[in-house]
Amino acid sequence: MKGIEEQTYYEILEVSPTATAKEIQMAYEHAKETFHSDSLAIYSLFSEEEIKEIQVAIEEAYRILMDEALRKRYDQSHFQTPEGQKWEKPSESQGLPWEKKTSLLFTDLSMNAGEEIFRGKTLKQIRERMGIDLKTVAAETKINMKILEWIEEEALDKLPALVYLKGFLKGYAQSLSLDPEKVIEGYLRFVNESKKK
Amino acid sequence: MVRIQNDDRKMIWTIGGGKGGSGKSFITANIGVCLSKLGVRVILIDADLGGANLHTFLGISPPALSLSDFFKKRVSHLQEVLIPTGIPNLQLLTGAQDLLNAVDTKSLQKRKLLHSIQSLEGDYILVDLGGGNSLSVLDFFLMSDGGILMVTPEPTSIENTYRFLKSAFYRRLRQSVSSYPVKTLIDGAMDRKNEMGIQNPHDLLKAVMRMNKEDAKTIIEETENFHPNLILNQVRSKKDIEIGFSIRSACQKYFGIRLHYLGYVVYDQEVGHSIRKRRPLVLENTQSRAAQCVREIASKLANRHQISFRF
Repeated sequence: MKGIEEQTYYEILEVSPTATAKEIQMAYEHAKETFHSDSLAIYSLFSEEEIKEIQVAIEEAYRILMDEALRKRYDQSHFQTPEGQKWEKPSESQGLPWEKKTSLLFTDLSMNAGEEIFRGKTLKQIRERMGIDLKTVAAETKINMKILEWIEEEALDKLPALVYLKGFLKGYAQSLSLDPEKVIEGYLRFVNESKKK
Repeated sequence: MVRIQNDDRKMIWTIGGGKGGSGKSFITANIGVCLSKLGVRVILIDADLGGANLHTFLGISPPALSLSDFFKKRVSHLQEVLIPTGIPNLQLLTGAQDLLNAVDTKSLQKRKLLHSIQSLEGDYILVDLGGGNSLSVLDFFLMSDGGILMVTPEPTSIENTYRFLKSAFYRRLRQSVSSYPVKTLIDGAMDRKNEMGIQNPHDLLKAVMRMNKEDAKTIIEETENFHPNLILNQVRSKKDIEIGFSIRSACQKYFGIRLHYLGYVVYDQEVGHSIRKRRPLVLENTQSRAAQCVREIASKLANRHQISFRF
């Protein structure tokens, strides 16, 4: 039993110290949704002050763990023995086989669509934070590189017809483990708002 | 603290938390049927406070025999109060209204019942606790191999579940520690507006550490070993399903406990139809979406006990 201020960044986001950027991204989105002020799951459990404290800790954990250099420095200062020799990682969270973290995958965890717009810039930022090359996304989704670039660059005049765009956004979202519905909805909202301007 | 030591085979699960209408009796009856189909002996115990109607979910009349026959010594063993359900391998024990509902339930009587349940000849024992929050209910929840919380994705249900979980958690801690001042502190901590500034279990632990190191150690151990389970009922969307994972995370942050998300049951009109027909859903409409969800959960419970699950 640890207070939020005593938890490591990995514990705050509930990920293993060996988590990949993709896993951290997913865990961050889950944590953000869970500890959102209007979240049903925390109703009546925490005080407003406690929620704010957790929200700040989540943002800080995400900021550090998604930056390779900062994460390395953090790991070195937190998981090394006083002699600075032996690498000592905390044990991974223990669960029964049927209840491992993978069970989280039986649904798509995602950002709160009401809060954030998945514009091209945002998608690019998420992809880069995950350390995923655009070429990898193209290979995985079989979507032409040019189209992926237009999506990220928000080249509205070059984007394909809506029906195709939706399909491409779906593939793109799936390759980053984001919720396709929310990405499509967010991106199209951004496109519509931009056109109005 | 009363903890039942089961033999290798027997598993006792208690279903509680939430509020009336969250589906505790529905899930107890239907999981019971699923497990009985494995060829293992299943006993359902209806301990719903003031609302015992598990028999209705199974399509049988209010039983003539109940727990009161056992306590009034009209029968010599709890086994004799079990009634058949018409479903192979599935028996029912009812009448807990006589016991758990009574405010003055004697500790000895309670202990006797807990031990008698343990001695029942069954492989799986599922206890429907109903929506109550009394100490007897909490003790039943805590004594089992697995306490299952039934929740629906609504603020009222979630609020009641957290209230129940907090009560069960603090009761478990209170029963584990040895010093009287620490017990009193835990009693006080239950009230969020307490004057000691204890807002949450972590504050409590810090306070206990200052008072009694041994008891603080016990609290840490009890917290690590407390793994309640969660079933989310009447989910209507993906977002609803995610609430289960979020509750798990919230419990980890607040209590420091690992809650197991056993699964969810989708909202399905077939559930209402089956109840009106007084037939368990998993028999009445095996292919309905809700029945599939129930089977999935029963399968997880069976896997814990390494029983192969076939339909």
